[in-house]
Amino acid sequence: MKQIQIITLLVMGILISSCGEDYLDPSPVSNIGSNGFYKNEAEVEAAVINIYDGLQLAVQREWALTEMRSDNSKTRSSEGEWAQFENLDVKSTNSTVANYWAMFYNVIFRSNSVLENLDAAGPSATQFEGEAKFTRALSYFNLVRLFGDVPLIDKVITPTDTDYFDRDSTADVYALIVSDLQTAISNLDNSYKGRASKAAAQALLAKVYLTFGNNYGEAQSLCEDVMDSGFSLVGFHDVFYSERSSEIIFAVEYVNDIAADSQDFSLEFTQDGRVRGLNYATPELVQAFTDFGGSIRTQESIILDAVDSYRCGKFISNSTANQQNGNDWIVLRYADVLLMHVEAIMAGADVTTSSTAVASFKKVRDRAGLPTGSSITKEDLLNERRVELAFENHRLFDLIRFGVAESVLGTFATANGIVFTASDLLLPIPEREIGVSFGKLTQNPGY
Amino acid sequence: MDIMILNYKNILKKGLGLISVFILVASIGSCEQFELPEAGSMADLTPPSANFSASLNGDYLTYKFDNLSTSATDYVWDYGDGNSSTDFNGANIYSDEGTFTVTLTASDKLGVSSTFSTNVTVVKPPKPVVLLPVILEAGFEDYNLPDGTGDGRDSWRTSLGEIMQITSSPVYEGSQAAKFPSDGTRIAYQELEVSVNADYVLTYYYTMKTSPAGSITVSVLGGALTNLANAASQTLASFKGTDQTAESTFVQVDLPFNSGNNTIVAIYARNESVECRLDSFSIREAD
Repeated sequence: MKQIQIITLLVMGILISSCGEDYLDPSPVSNIGSNGFYKNEAEVEAAVINIYDGLQLAVQREWALTEMRSDNSKTRSSEGEWAQFENLDVKSTNSTVANYWAMFYNVIFRSNSVLENLDAAGPSATQFEGEAKFTRALSYFNLVRLFGDVPLIDKVITPTDTDYFDRDSTADVYALIVSDLQTAISNLDNSYKGRASKAAAQALLAKVYLTFGNNYGEAQSLCEDVMDSGFSLVGFHDVFYSERSSEIIFAVEYVNDIAADSQDFSLEFTQDGRVRGLNYATPELVQAFTDFGGSIRTQESIILDAVDSYRCGKFISNSTANQQNGNDWIVLRYADVLLMHVEAIMAGADVTTSSTAVASFKKVRDRAGLPTGSSITKEDLLNERRVELAFENHRLFDLIRFGVAESVLGTFATANGIVFTASDLLLPIPEREIGVSFGKLTQNPGY
Repeated sequence: MDIMILNYKNILKKGLGLISVFILVASIGSCEQFELPEAGSMADLTPPSANFSASLNGDYLTYKFDNLSTSATDYVWDYGDGNSSTDFNGANIYSDEGTFTVTLTASDKLGVSSTFSTNVTVVKPPKPVVLLPVILEAGFEDYNLPDGTGDGRDSWRTSLGEIMQITSSPVYEGSQAAKFPSDGTRIAYQELEVSVNADYVLTYYYTMKTSPAGSITVSVLGGALTNLANAASQTLASFKGTDQTAESTFVQVDLPFNSGNNTIVAIYARNESVECRLDSFSIREAD
């Protein structure tokens, strides 16, 4: 009995002494809350990976907002909400647009979460900062080109931070994009292709400068930095089926047959998709392939699906589960950089004969099995980009950047019985975002 | 019991009917307070707002103006050169260079209007001219600088190394040429101002003693050279001359190069192991 009493006393003593402050303020063990998380490098890295998880969702319908609003692609059925894109008649209630907006702001939120917790990341803080700033810049670059002025959110905000709900000027948004990419360039190396890298930030910044149209020298140096970083062109087929090849600079990665890490756009590009075929080639694109594509690129890029109907030949899946496709989404690749190099040297002129420009142009043409002349016109370059990068979400932005969107899309619209106005070049701000903005978000003109 | 319930229902019905009549009367009576149609209407919260973007559409005289107005139905364009239009989008061909104020007046059916103006500057785009640089003391002759001074090599000096020597024989033309003694320590260096991304051909003549085996390399560098160690990475083009067949016969070299993303290029020459001579540099735009 005495022994038991002593043990009881000991146990009681332990229990009493363990009643510190922690006992009254326990951290949850079965749930993760943002307040108690981000304590060490591994946890901040989990937040970094989470950004790419957000990108896996965000890019999956981007082709609808870009390719299908250009003269490149359309739906197979021309029905419903999806047909709004090809008819250049996107409504502010369009759910694909609303989801795109929400998903990219989610990527921005995830990037901001990493940036606010860099103190806990130890020696990897520099790397993580570079990655988060790259993904934030990529998100804003997409949003500002698609929607114009957008809310600029550079920290983690809560639903009561209404000061952040109104639209900021494109100039302010671009200022953040440029500074984020410059940080990414100085903080990152070229270790990854599925995560942000120095070359990815350089290539993206080059594109930002080309979009400004007044900083061609900087754009050229950035392209040349990437060209000196060991990238090369691979076989045109291998670009899409040999993942993380030497041509890929940045891709959003997916894996076959894993629900959480796969995509379904490969399926939606076929008749087996839920909408019976999206992002199908327009007759104008098929004609462009005949005129400028060359056989290698044409047979790889468009596939005859039915009489006079061509579907996308890129990103064809070999997954077992047909909605769980593993083809990576290519954001930046070397051929794009070579053609940007030509664009930078052309520097807004109508033609260039510079041998450095011709050399870069020739690399892309050589792979396509096509000859190269001694001079390149703006139209040559635009056509080359169209057939080289078809279905990769470049066409609409290229048309706008080259200053020909109104004339090209105007002609395309007239030929197809569509009404085009210049205000169609910007998407409507999603109605549901306006609805929850306390009246702060205003609509774009024309909607 | 049944009858009583029925009675209650009747009373209820009658009561409701009476109330309805009252409401009807009240409604009719209340209409008289709102005879003026404006009285209950709201102010126009979305008055017209004119806006447009101007862009070239063809040659430098042809402009198009994309209408970005909101809440408007009627548009009047004044192109600033006397032309006007009432189309939704504007378009104008100007007859000559000048600055024109383009004004769009957008109005709605309430008669509210808004105007927006912007200036377009019609200017003939300059033909891109390739800057042709001047190589100073290109033939290494005395008193050849623009101000009439110079020892034939003043323009070729650099703080990065010792300047080459001057020889009077053999020369390609004139009375002097550059000489690089066999120890390979001497340098010739001159910066040139060029157009970016332009193709040039640098022409020069060299000769060297027949022995021992050696070479003279002339390089064109992108940008100014601040450290000899960077010479290789800055090289845009270079030629290594090794023709040792005759010590007084000059060999012509045409070295094509593209200036790349540089407004300055530098000619940089040095030799290895054998005494060499350079003469008569010239530069031209590539065909």
